[in-house]
Amino acid sequence: MSAAESATAVQRSQVDLLDFIDWSGVECLNQSSSHSLSNALKQGYREDEGLNLESDADEQLLIYIPFTQVIKLHSVVVMGSEEEGPKTVKLFANREHMGFSNVSDFPPSDTAVLSSDNLKGKPVVLKYVKFQNVRSLTIFIEDNQSGSEITKIQKIALYGSTVETTDMKGLKKIEDH
Amino acid sequence: MVLEATMICIDNSEWMRNGDYAPSRFQAQADAVNLICGAKTQSNPENTVGVLTMAGKGVRVLVTPTSDLGKILACMHGLEIGGEMNLAAGIQVAQLALKHRQNKKQQQRIIVFAGSPVMHDKKALEMIGKKLKKNSVALDIVNFGEDDEGKTEKLEALLAAVNNNDTSHIVHVPAGPTALSDVLISTPIFTGDGEGGSGFAASAAAAAAGGVSGFEFGVDPNLDPELALALRVSMEEERARQEAAAKQAAEEASKEEKGGEEQDATMTERASEGASEADNKKIEIADDDDTSLQQALAMSMDEPTSSQGLQDTEMSDAAAEDPELALALQLSVQDSTKDSSSQADVSKLLADQSFVSSILASLPGVDPNDPSVKEVLASMQNQSEPQQKQDEDKAPKKEEEK
Repeated sequence: MSAAESATAVQRSQVDLLDFIDWSGVECLNQSSSHSLSNALKQGYREDEGLNLESDADEQLLIYIPFTQVIKLHSVVVMGSEEEGPKTVKLFANREHMGFSNVSDFPPSDTAVLSSDNLKGKPVVLKYVKFQNVRSLTIFIEDNQSGSEITKIQKIALYGSTVETTDMKGLKKIEDH
Repeated sequence: MVLEATMICIDNSEWMRNGDYAPSRFQAQADAVNLICGAKTQSNPENTVGVLTMAGKGVRVLVTPTSDLGKILACMHGLEIGGEMNLAAGIQVAQLALKHRQNKKQQQRIIVFAGSPVMHDKKALEMIGKKLKKNSVALDIVNFGEDDEGKTEKLEALLAAVNNNDTSHIVHVPAGPTALSDVLISTPIFTGDGEGGSGFAASAAAAAAGGVSGFEFGVDPNLDPELALALRVSMEEERARQEAAAKQAAEEASKEEKGGEEQDATMTERASEGASEADNKKIEIADDDDTSLQQALAMSMDEPTSSQGLQDTEMSDAAAEDPELALALQLSVQDSTKDSSSQADVSKLLADQSFVSSILASLPGVDPNDPSVKEVLASMQNQSEPQQKQDEDKAPKKEEEK
């Protein structure tokens, strides 16, 4: 039931927020240089099962995604393999420049423990009330399914809707008569 | 030109008293630190550098990352040597200082001067290295001074743990005649991650090593394309201007000769002899003429008639460039009642009878009593109007006389 609901919710009013990501500010700590965040986030790359985001020194990852405008976040999809896919995922809204040392300093806006269904593509519905006014999202992946050294993520997709904000590019200069 | 915040970890332990690096290990280190700070701030004005000491009573941050070079240099004064270096603590404190940097957009970098033996074991260092890599902190290690068993190995292991895409480097500096700073200048620690030399590093390298920097004008086109372009363009402009000036001088000289008149010939002769002050002055005047004429041409952009005011400026320009010329001009101004003009300068000089005869007397092989010379002098006295070009005037004048 809830699965059906969430599925329809995704179809109903929520859009893939890929278009609203501000790519110039996207950062990922502890990613492997050959397997970077674009493999998981970008259109096309994320569908490819061979291209993963992989962690480097240890199994944790810290992903920072700013948006071009204010959005409401409804759900996320995190896909990965059964063993090396992520397990505990913490989401922080509107926290700039977090590091691994201060992830435990404040409570996350939401925490998700991913099941194997989630890893296959089932969206994780979030506490919508906590993500009403999101300018940037920080995703902290604490550990993976099997506890291995490297966490591999195939796809990260964000679903939500936009808040009515002024698109500065749409503003046109008034012609002098 | 990467935007970077750097923390430099200085080793001020007892081992730094040693003099195997001139003048002492500690002093060599301090010089290197000063150079690094300068290079970092110059490659990008928004870069910040901080300094901490690892030995002594404990790890102590002398200055937090700042772009104020004076502050950094000041804090290097009055540092005391003593104690033992604590590498692990030093790196961790440096990491903490970088975490609290003001501008979060800056990349983080730690530069460690490891002069004394390393107490920690390899495992611990590798853990530290991994933590640095996880937080995307780059690490540069300067291995100098003591070389006990395993130190190099440990530092290499640390580097391997930190290194992410060649952003971290290690440099081994053996003791020897070359200063520590000079050795460091050519390393990636200075030149920064293989981008190519910053202007500072390139010029410093050129000065120190006596070699030629890899880039024209000492500025890397990759780092600063606009500056490199501006330098190149101004160089070409200057060259073109000089060529044009040289051409003008050649033209003037050939015109004078072509005139085929005695006075022109004599004047050219005098110019070519160059044995006297006047000759030198004349050549200089000709050159100054040409350059100021060029300027006048550029300014007026039509036929080369210069207004009186322009001529005044040209004269003052010419005068400013050559003190001897100024003196000569003064003389001629006193003697003649004409307005001063650069083109008229020479004619005025030559019109000054006494001056010319004194010059002639000093010339070898010219007898003032020679009739042809006398004729020339007489004709020159008759030249009275201000002229645009010497040769133009001399032609009509000569014809008049004839």
